[in-house]
Amino acid sequence: MKRRLAGLTFIVAVALVAVGVGVSFGAKKQTTTLTMWSYDNQDPGLEPVLKQLSADFEKSHPGVTINIVFKDFNSLVGTVPRALASGTGPDVTEGNEGYQTDAQLVKAKLIIPLTKYVAKYHWSTLYAPSTWGMFRWTADGKSFGKGPIWGLAQTGQNVVVFYNKKKLTQAGLNPNKMPQTYAGFEKMLATLRAKLPSSDPVIEEGNKEGYGFIHLFGGIWGASVKPSVVRNWVYHVPGSRYDTPGTIAALTRLQAWGKAGYFNSDYNAVGYDTSAGLFAKGKGAMWIGGDWDSTIIKTGLGAANIGVMPVPPGPSGQWASIGGLSGSWHISAKTKYADLGAEWLNYVITSSRAKTLMFGQQQLPADRSAQPPTSDPYLTQVDKGFTRVANADGLLLYTDWASPSMYTTLQNQYQLLLAGRTTPQGMAQAVQADWAKFDKTLH
Amino acid sequence: MVSRRRRGKRGRGHAPGDPRNIGWLYVLPGLLFYLLFTLGPLLHTVYYSLFSWDGLTAKTWVGLANYSEAVHDSVLRAAFLHSAILIVFYAVLPVSVGLLLTAALTRTAIRGFRFFRTTLFLPQLIAGVVIAQAWSWVYDAQGPLNRFLQLVGLGSLVRPWLGDFTWALPSIGVIGTWVTFGLCMVLFVAGVQKIPIELYDAARVDGAGAVREFFAVTLPGLRNEVLVAFVLTTINALRNFDIIYNTTAGGPGNTTIVPSMYMYQNAFLFNRVGYAAAIATLLALAIFILAAIMLRIGDRPEDR
Repeated sequence: MKRRLAGLTFIVAVALVAVGVGVSFGAKKQTTTLTMWSYDNQDPGLEPVLKQLSADFEKSHPGVTINIVFKDFNSLVGTVPRALASGTGPDVTEGNEGYQTDAQLVKAKLIIPLTKYVAKYHWSTLYAPSTWGMFRWTADGKSFGKGPIWGLAQTGQNVVVFYNKKKLTQAGLNPNKMPQTYAGFEKMLATLRAKLPSSDPVIEEGNKEGYGFIHLFGGIWGASVKPSVVRNWVYHVPGSRYDTPGTIAALTRLQAWGKAGYFNSDYNAVGYDTSAGLFAKGKGAMWIGGDWDSTIIKTGLGAANIGVMPVPPGPSGQWASIGGLSGSWHISAKTKYADLGAEWLNYVITSSRAKTLMFGQQQLPADRSAQPPTSDPYLTQVDKGFTRVANADGLLLYTDWASPSMYTTLQNQYQLLLAGRTTPQGMAQAVQADWAKFDKTLH
Repeated sequence: MVSRRRRGKRGRGHAPGDPRNIGWLYVLPGLLFYLLFTLGPLLHTVYYSLFSWDGLTAKTWVGLANYSEAVHDSVLRAAFLHSAILIVFYAVLPVSVGLLLTAALTRTAIRGFRFFRTTLFLPQLIAGVVIAQAWSWVYDAQGPLNRFLQLVGLGSLVRPWLGDFTWALPSIGVIGTWVTFGLCMVLFVAGVQKIPIELYDAARVDGAGAVREFFAVTLPGLRNEVLVAFVLTTINALRNFDIIYNTTAGGPGNTTIVPSMYMYQNAFLFNRVGYAAAIATLLALAIFILAAIMLRIGDRPEDR
């Protein structure tokens, strides 16, 4: 009996260790060390820019050390709320626009509104007025798109089509005369499928992390739904719906692309950046994804062999795509150095040095006044891909901002849809159900 | 009663080996440690599971609402079903393979046995993340497994194993079998050495073949080891997180979601710490019940 009790005790102990969740954070701080958390380390993306700018900042501010820590996206957003709450977390950190992260940080008073600094550094002219919506929250973290400004972003982001000019030419298409309508674009995809060897995908796709299709879908979606309708849905404007005929029609097209064999069959096993790398090595005729990966593609294919454009518009003629600004930077409510943090943000976002370095990394500064160097035609194409959509008021934001669980829901639903395990109607209902469940908690 | 009344002030009535209250003092450090780091967090988790809580702001008492949601949650049901399937790969298969190897080893002496034993045990010593990375590479669309299949003319079987709706879960299961069977084998081989050689001699004199010998001598002799192996590997299967998180993260769709992964999603991604605590409690309960059943079967008085 005693042995059994001991055994059971042991089991309880093991079970507890098995399910216990304990996360500890923290690094000892010296008096003038500022810790920044960022996930902008996509291969290589903004990482070298932030490191260089921080080194510059240290030089102009003797005695100040900038400790910039890079984490992958999921582990950063998964840990930053508790890290900030602990009081030993970062002084300045990226969050993520939307209900999963930023709403939490605002609601729990872990970050401060930037109103004071917006005035001090004249930030209000940095972005278009409608763009500021993605940083606005009411203090209860419930209303998105209105209220004070809580964040600031470094770069503009947009999902565009990168195409391999050589392959288009080989298929008898003219890469310098790309279709300007969605219907024309679909026709081109069909031609490519017919002309390319069956082992070569039309679109090289990487959906391992689950956001590949969330991004890719924007171009199809924008061709049949008004961008403001999508944005209102993300902002939880009452009466918004996902399961509309327009969205269902777009999901049907995406599923049709899959059935027509436009994608590589192993898309669920290939990472997003990996797929960009494979495209750069000559796999597929196109890659549809974030313009922040443009360096990867340029390095492989050579700037002269790449064309860049958003998926062209549907009958409305309005250019649209998934995009917005990069991750939102926040100042911790517990930092002793809020003013210094704001100064650093101002430097890495608005200084001319910052813009030059960002363009040098093929990143597009979010600051509207920035102009790409005329000496770089490839970068000019990428920049045009962003401004064309942004100026047409066509940025759809990121769909996963709409609820804390929306990212996982969309990730699962796109995989099911592309595998033919759910219908466009079924997916639309599942996504709307997630939205509605969360919407209830906001009223 | 009578003797108690006659007892002196210094407690002279105790027999030398009798438990005295001072015994509590001896176990106190361990007990405190256990309460603080084991029982405390468990009770805390149960307590949290009764709230709707985002992990940061004020909690709202919801009673058993999280549990009634869990009962109706099809994702959680799928997660437990996947765990049950993984038990086959993490516990049943490794124990069977381990027994088979042990049986073979008791019949024939194998040269370089120590080397094999060490090598087969090695997966136990490698961090889960490393194992997950290595197997992701093996299962990769262009990885060694697919290249091997192509080489031997089985090109039709080639697929992105971890991205396949049907094959992702069994693929993860195979990783588990690979990790745990070495542990089982080492346990069994050690156990076999305790079995008196006379029993084997007797069995052979009686004309028992390899199969008969295994069931009459080896298996009964390994009863405790098999039990330990089953308990350890089953718990391993149920709390599986690192391998799943680093290979499929529950996908594609929800085909490889397990309770611990779902708990993580709720706690750290969906901001639903209360519900995650309810899942954790249910998982702990499931582990506890399964382990109790196994120990009960194991503790059965031996029928001789």
